[in-house]
Amino acid sequence: MVRTRRWRAALVACVVLLFCLALAGLVGCGADDGSASSGTGTLRVGVRANVSGFGYYNEEAGKYSGLEIDIADEMASRMGYADVEFITATPETRKEQLLNGEVDCIIACYSIADTRLENFDFSPAYYEDVSVIMVEDSSLFDDIEDLKGGTFGTVAGSNAAAQLTERLAEIGFTSGEPIKANEDNSDVLFDNFHLVQLTSYQDLSDALEEGTIDAACMDGAISYTFMNDERHLLDFQIATQEYGVATQKDSALSEPVSETIQGMLDDGTIAWLIDKWD
Amino acid sequence: MSRTLKIKIVLLIVVAVASMAVMGVLLSTMQTNLYLDNYTEEIQEELADLPDRIGSADASVAETTRSFDETCQTLVGSIGFMAHNNAGFKATNAKMREYKDLLDVDNVLVVTKGGKIVAQAQDTLADFSSSRFNQLRTVFDDGKPSEAVEIEVPDKDWLMRYYAAQIDDNTMAVIEKDPTELRELIADAGSTASVVEDITVGQSGFIFSISSRDYLVEYYPDASLINTDALVHGVPVEDLEEGNLSWMNIDGQRYYCGVTQIDNMYYVAAIPESDMTSARNITVGIILFAFLAVMLVVIMYGIFAMREDERENSVSTETDEELQEVRTSHFNRPLARKAAVLSLVGFILILVVSFYMQTLFALSSESVANNERIKETVASMETSLDRVETLNDQYGERYLPTCRIAAYILDQNPSLENHESLVKLADVLQTENILVYDASGTMTATSSAIVTEHLSDDPDDPSYDFTLLLHGEVDSVVQDPQTDENSGEIWQYIGVPLHDASGKVDGIVQVAVRPAFLESLLETAQIDTVLEGVKSGSDGFAFAVNRDDDTFAYYPDPLLIGESVFDFGMTERELKDGYCDYLTIDGTTYYASSAETDNYYFYIATTEDELMDERVPLTLVVGAVALVCLLIVFFLLSFGPKRKIRIYGAGDPDAGGSGRIIDVELPGGRTVRTDSAASRWLNSSFAWNERTAWQKTSSILRWVLGIFVVFVFILVIFQDQIFASDSIFAYILGGNWEHGLNIFAITACIMFICVAVTLVVVIEWLLSLLGGVLNARGETICRLLRSFIKYATAIGMIYYCLVLIGIDTTTLLASAGILSIAISLGARELVGDIISGLFIIFEGEFRVGDIIKVDDWRGTVMEIGIRTIKIEDAAQNIKIIRNSDVNDVINMTKKYSYLSIEVGIDYDESIERVENILAEELPKIGERLPAIIKGPYYRGVVAFEDSAVMLRIAVQCEEKDRPQLERDLNREMKLLFDDHEIDIPFPQIVVNTPTEHTKATEYEKYRAELFNEEQKEASKGFDENERTSNDDD
Repeated sequence: MVRTRRWRAALVACVVLLFCLALAGLVGCGADDGSASSGTGTLRVGVRANVSGFGYYNEEAGKYSGLEIDIADEMASRMGYADVEFITATPETRKEQLLNGEVDCIIACYSIADTRLENFDFSPAYYEDVSVIMVEDSSLFDDIEDLKGGTFGTVAGSNAAAQLTERLAEIGFTSGEPIKANEDNSDVLFDNFHLVQLTSYQDLSDALEEGTIDAACMDGAISYTFMNDERHLLDFQIATQEYGVATQKDSALSEPVSETIQGMLDDGTIAWLIDKWD
Repeated sequence: MSRTLKIKIVLLIVVAVASMAVMGVLLSTMQTNLYLDNYTEEIQEELADLPDRIGSADASVAETTRSFDETCQTLVGSIGFMAHNNAGFKATNAKMREYKDLLDVDNVLVVTKGGKIVAQAQDTLADFSSSRFNQLRTVFDDGKPSEAVEIEVPDKDWLMRYYAAQIDDNTMAVIEKDPTELRELIADAGSTASVVEDITVGQSGFIFSISSRDYLVEYYPDASLINTDALVHGVPVEDLEEGNLSWMNIDGQRYYCGVTQIDNMYYVAAIPESDMTSARNITVGIILFAFLAVMLVVIMYGIFAMREDERENSVSTETDEELQEVRTSHFNRPLARKAAVLSLVGFILILVVSFYMQTLFALSSESVANNERIKETVASMETSLDRVETLNDQYGERYLPTCRIAAYILDQNPSLENHESLVKLADVLQTENILVYDASGTMTATSSAIVTEHLSDDPDDPSYDFTLLLHGEVDSVVQDPQTDENSGEIWQYIGVPLHDASGKVDGIVQVAVRPAFLESLLETAQIDTVLEGVKSGSDGFAFAVNRDDDTFAYYPDPLLIGESVFDFGMTERELKDGYCDYLTIDGTTYYASSAETDNYYFYIATTEDELMDERVPLTLVVGAVALVCLLIVFFLLSFGPKRKIRIYGAGDPDAGGSGRIIDVELPGGRTVRTDSAASRWLNSSFAWNERTAWQKTSSILRWVLGIFVVFVFILVIFQDQIFASDSIFAYILGGNWEHGLNIFAITACIMFICVAVTLVVVIEWLLSLLGGVLNARGETICRLLRSFIKYATAIGMIYYCLVLIGIDTTTLLASAGILSIAISLGARELVGDIISGLFIIFEGEFRVGDIIKVDDWRGTVMEIGIRTIKIEDAAQNIKIIRNSDVNDVINMTKKYSYLSIEVGIDYDESIERVENILAEELPKIGERLPAIIKGPYYRGVVAFEDSAVMLRIAVQCEEKDRPQLERDLNREMKLLFDDHEIDIPFPQIVVNTPTEHTKATEYEKYRAELFNEEQKEASKGFDENERTSNDDD
């Protein structure tokens, strides 16, 4: 009798096994490869929050996304950090944030410029951009010469204003000498144009829409966000900008960051990421 | 269990598991690839169509915008015209307010070239001196109204479009117009949503769009996702590349996606994985299930048979001298034969199931796709017609104000009522023609060269409506666009009254417009234009049938257009809404879906698609795998180490059983085991070990079938929870396919039967539970209910299935009527036989091989036919009994029969003495007669007969031995009683010797004669009858 029972149990088990197998056929199998980050410590990175494609913060999801975010993630993981903390950096604040040590490095459409090299170390450039002039179609401006006497707008904290003046002087549009300026240099009158600095790119875009400025100067990367069917870019490049990862001058991080970025450039990671976000 | 058998079982299980795994992986991979290929093709087709769709939507947006701008330019231009033509223009705020109301715009201003505001109807946010308004200043260059300048600053609640027209060299008229209306029109006509929301990819796939600039979702079926960051919802950025095909996880659901980039927008065609998996899993699952069932049956049967074999042979052999051991070969022939038959049947079953499932899902996915496509086609047809209608209204709306402006200008300055001025005005107002009539309805001036015309008084004439304006009955007339008989062009006339200085109506002004866009739109709304663009799969197409005369309204082959559909093989049955089945046109068979509109039947026809083409190879692969697996199992079962088998001499192989399983001999001479008649009606199940291998296997088969039935039942009952409303399964269950002998009807029948069977089984079970606790009466009612439910369900099931298969129910009912007439006319007995036969089979009163007694005929059932049963008696006589005559059946199928004989003894005989003798002699008789299984037993005194005391002797024997044994036993009893001088009383007749009688003398003869006469005389007058009756009393 005991034998019978065992035999029957075996039989039931066998039937159940086969049946389960049949059911298993019904349920597709999914694989999830959640690779755990190795390493320790958190890298604090200052990134843009409003430049889609580069650094964009989605409030709803509480998540940053973009080329620079991916670069930061990849860089941190190659440098052995367990985690990356993103901190929003605006053109106005990023300099202080890095100097004060609020962030370890800045990957925030921060172009490599001589003035900045005095205070910071930069990695090799991961992205090359040109700063551009955006105008409204209805202004009928096609050429930089049309803008003589007009008002140019830039965002405070970016180096577009300096570059613009330099470039305009270079082509003989202006003498480059300010005639009149207000206290914080946000409103400067030159011989042939007027230069105002606004606090944000959104303000800059609104000013252009309203007509309070005639042209807006910004980085090419940023211009995508504010471009629409009724605007166009002048066929006039102010300057080529090279974005690099900025770290505090002579900090311990400077060397590894540069090496990591160079490594990512060499093995095509950055090219792939740029293509991904293109 | 022997070691060999254990190893074999393990091997068999391994083979079964491995073959299931191989089959499962192979099938799902093949199916997935098949579906993916199919979906890839569809995605690519839809995406390839997209640029055209977007192009036409963009054209529509451009047209809408142009039309809006033109209207506004007309308005601002009219101010310029008034300024130039002395029509009361003054650069004052009051005049501007008057114009603002007249033109129905948000603001009217007069602005200098430098941007200084001279006059305005109300304050404006705009600074006209800025370069932003350079566009407006173009009026000073060409004198024409300017293009629009639109400003949108949501923070300041500023959304306006600006237009300007020149007044003089230094001033211009500017109007502000809120473009909200334009935006609404654009959203209707040209937004991405309007382009892609009607597109269905696969069964429930869709197209959504993501801006390539900022990765915001521009359109998604779930509106809550619109304008959110696509990346946050899981769309992988790296997959957003032109032509990319990949899997994406969007908000937790997996989609198979194709991407295309058009301008600054990524369009993603996404098909939910569930679309694919639900169909694939069910197909694969059911084929696997069939495979499992077959493997299980074959393997289990083999194992049971081998175990049975082993158990029988393992009985201790020491005491049994007659046991012989025979070494057989490695090949177990009897088992192999059965396993081969089972495997073959199973193999065919797998092939059939596989082909069936493939067909079912291929056809239903094609049906679903076709139905979707036809819906889209009808929708786009309707959209076109709607747009024609909207545009009609728009033209009316647009040109009525224009006409009023013309009237305003002519009222202000009647001297403009001349050809030249009207030409200029017509140009400014962008109308084809302006016509002025006086109070009598006679044309006084026109911008065209048309001859003078008079408005008609005839109410049927189109121009009659305009005379109503003269009578002040209406304020305006907007005629419907009409096609000019001569030119074929579409013209529309709009009229409003003119007034004299005192405000009295003194004429009318008409504007004539030629809505060219309407013309082209009407063209696109033509059936052939719409259907030409419809594609379905690689070679699908659309056509339409005119409902009025059943001719082809559109067909890809122009030769067929206008011909009767019946001439090309279509039938009346196919001309309806929601047709979805095969149809033949001009000798080619298509799979088609239809839809109906007011005037047409629309069809989408496809030839058999890839899924259908793949059926045969897929089935063959499944068959091949199954064959290999079954072969392995077969060899494992049939071959083994040499074994000993036992030849039975005597003894009872069934010792220890409860006698409910017995051997019966079938008419063919084959001996099979069956359960005894009594046990068939018992609810209690057999002890597992008492069953034969086949019974065990069949119970496993029953369980498997039961699982399948319950599974289908659950699927059907909870279909809404399990399947999306537009899934393939929902389509099969939905019943929207054609009723007829097709795969859907058959599937629906199977499903219906599964549901019905499950319900009936559950109800029967409940009733039997209930019966168990009720009294006898309740039990009877429960049994009655059970059998009623069973038969009612069976009849209902047959009826419903016939309906599904497309047999007309009314015909069926009518034929039932005819049937009853036929019965009354004489076929009754035949029908009675058939029905009785069905009942015998359904109720299982007896089976083939049973020993039954019908009336006085006792024998073995040879055959249960639809009309008769055949019973063979011991003498091999066959009695054929009509089923309806099968009454009072005694089923004597049991393991042992009892035979009793009665024998009488004399009343004088001592019963005790006889009993003593029997006690001694009965066991000896038992030994002498081998047919006796138990006994003989003395059963006591049965009766007191006239001349004997009856004793009963009983024995247990096989039913088949009974007749002979009875005779043998009688003989033994007689011999026994003779030996012991016990008389068996018998009726005796005493015979006497004849006696010589003396003859009467002559005298005696005389005296007797006399006596007679005397007596008659003496008794005269006696009522003889009365006396007799008295005597009787």
